[in-house]
Amino acid sequence: MAARQEVLALQAEVARREEELSSLKQRLAAALLEEQEPTPERPVQVSPLPSKAALSRDEILRYSRQLVLPELGVHGQLRLATASVLIVGCGGLGCPLAQYLAAAGVGRLGLVDYDVVEMSNLARQVLHGEALAGQAKAFSAAASLRRLNSAVECVPYAQALTPATALDLVRRYDVVADCSDNVPTRYLVNDACVLAGRPLVSASALRFEGQITVYHYDGGPCYRCVFPQPPPAETVTNCADGGVLGVVTGVLGCLQALEVLKIAAGMGPSYSGSLLLFDALRGHFRCIQLRSRKPDCAACGERPTVTDLQDYEAFCGSSATDKCRSLQLLSPAERVSVTYYKRLLDSGAPHLLLDVRPQVEVDICRLPHALHIPLKQLERRDPESLKLLGEAIREGKRDAQEGAADSIYVICKLGNDSQKAVKILQCLTAAQVLDPVTVRDVVGGLMAWAAKIDGTFPQY
Amino acid sequence: MVPWCQVEVLYFAKSAEIAGVRSETISVPQEIKALQLWKEIESRHPGLADVKNQVIFAVRQEYVELGDQLLLLQPGDEIAIIPPISGG
Ligand SMILES: [Zn+2]
Repeated sequence: MAARQEVLALQAEVARREEELSSLKQRLAAALLEEQEPTPERPVQVSPLPSKAALSRDEILRYSRQLVLPELGVHGQLRLATASVLIVGCGGLGCPLAQYLAAAGVGRLGLVDYDVVEMSNLARQVLHGEALAGQAKAFSAAASLRRLNSAVECVPYAQALTPATALDLVRRYDVVADCSDNVPTRYLVNDACVLAGRPLVSASALRFEGQITVYHYDGGPCYRCVFPQPPPAETVTNCADGGVLGVVTGVLGCLQALEVLKIAAGMGPSYSGSLLLFDALRGHFRCIQLRSRKPDCAACGERPTVTDLQDYEAFCGSSATDKCRSLQLLSPAERVSVTYYKRLLDSGAPHLLLDVRPQVEVDICRLPHALHIPLKQLERRDPESLKLLGEAIREGKRDAQEGAADSIYVICKLGNDSQKAVKILQCLTAAQVLDPVTVRDVVGGLMAWAAKIDGTFPQY
Repeated sequence: MVPWCQVEVLYFAKSAEIAGVRSETISVPQEIKALQLWKEIESRHPGLADVKNQVIFAVRQEYVELGDQLLLLQPGDEIAIIPPISGG
């Protein structure tokens, strides 16, 4: 009996604290909103940091382990204290970078991010916590950094870096760190740094790979010297599609912090004119000597054509986010909504649901009645897969009542691959490799299913 | 007749995806122009044409322009194909 009473008492206590926590979260959200007001159209004005003649007793204690390094010393620490760093992107790279710069005592950190904290960010964006889901990343990062080191001035910019704002913003900082997640922003940051004459510490990560370089430092090449042309949009993989391991962004963010600190403290960077590659699967680091500055570079060359910032989304043919693009390969008649598919499923109408996601995603979640054939297998007309599909279609025809339409509905995560698969299946039926059948895809895929039809279906 | 030698080609990021391998050993003339060497590699993996203009092509860990520059390769030399990644 005593045990039962304790259970009840504990349950009541948990409920009380959960309520308290939820009220705290609401107050925090309100406070954060207040902090954002007034939302300036132009970036917040910041005055130059005053130079510093000596360290205080507290500072000496706090930074003592790095002060005794002869390469850094008091001189380097004083330089850090008056340095300002603009961090473009408070995600997987920006979080560890900002964390180490704040811990090391960099004077001012500008934090740029237009996005809000989502649960799927937390496995790698280590400055953001559960309580701030839905809040601006720039403010969430600033709040964490202030707790870490109240002497560091954090200036959050909860807005996208745009051609209209970038140059003005970059000019206010000594060093720029590119921690962004998309190609247009990388060209924008590069050009702004070249125009403003600022060194750019650039890192990126995807899957198990990372890259880091310092651009436009002391006569070295800029991003455009090395990559004059942006990649075709369809060859670019983002972290949502390709995946990324948090530790990998963490390693690269820390290397980036190291380069920023060395530049800010006057020690000079290690990766100007060279590219460090990190292969996390094999545990290899490899340093590639890059080309020198390109005399005919559009940005930093002798006769630059980039004399002010341009439309980088048009230049790259993609948007300045890492959100997944939606393709439009099919006509509306060839597509159905999740609501339509749900009604069809409930009506018991005979059909085949074909899931074309990679196996690794099917392992995460699936609709139990779906036949699974990855798009890759369809693309290379894998005989085994086509046999499986042909059998499923014939079986469906047998079970279907007289006159019932033979239909395949193709589904994937977001409704892009499913359209590609429909195109392939249409070719295969036209070529009579498969029996005649109507093929359509489900708009928005399984993530739309999770959002609109089944709240218990996992989102990833 | 120019002697041939075996070199190791390393594929990074998108190029590894296209090639379907992370590395392979291939046989090429010891004296070869940079662009010719690229074409040799592209003929094995035609999909690499899509990223040709956006890669760092490195021989012995050093950037090489895809042009007429004559390379003198040694057995075991490392050729790297490095497309940029942009995630973060
Ligand atoms: Zn340049």
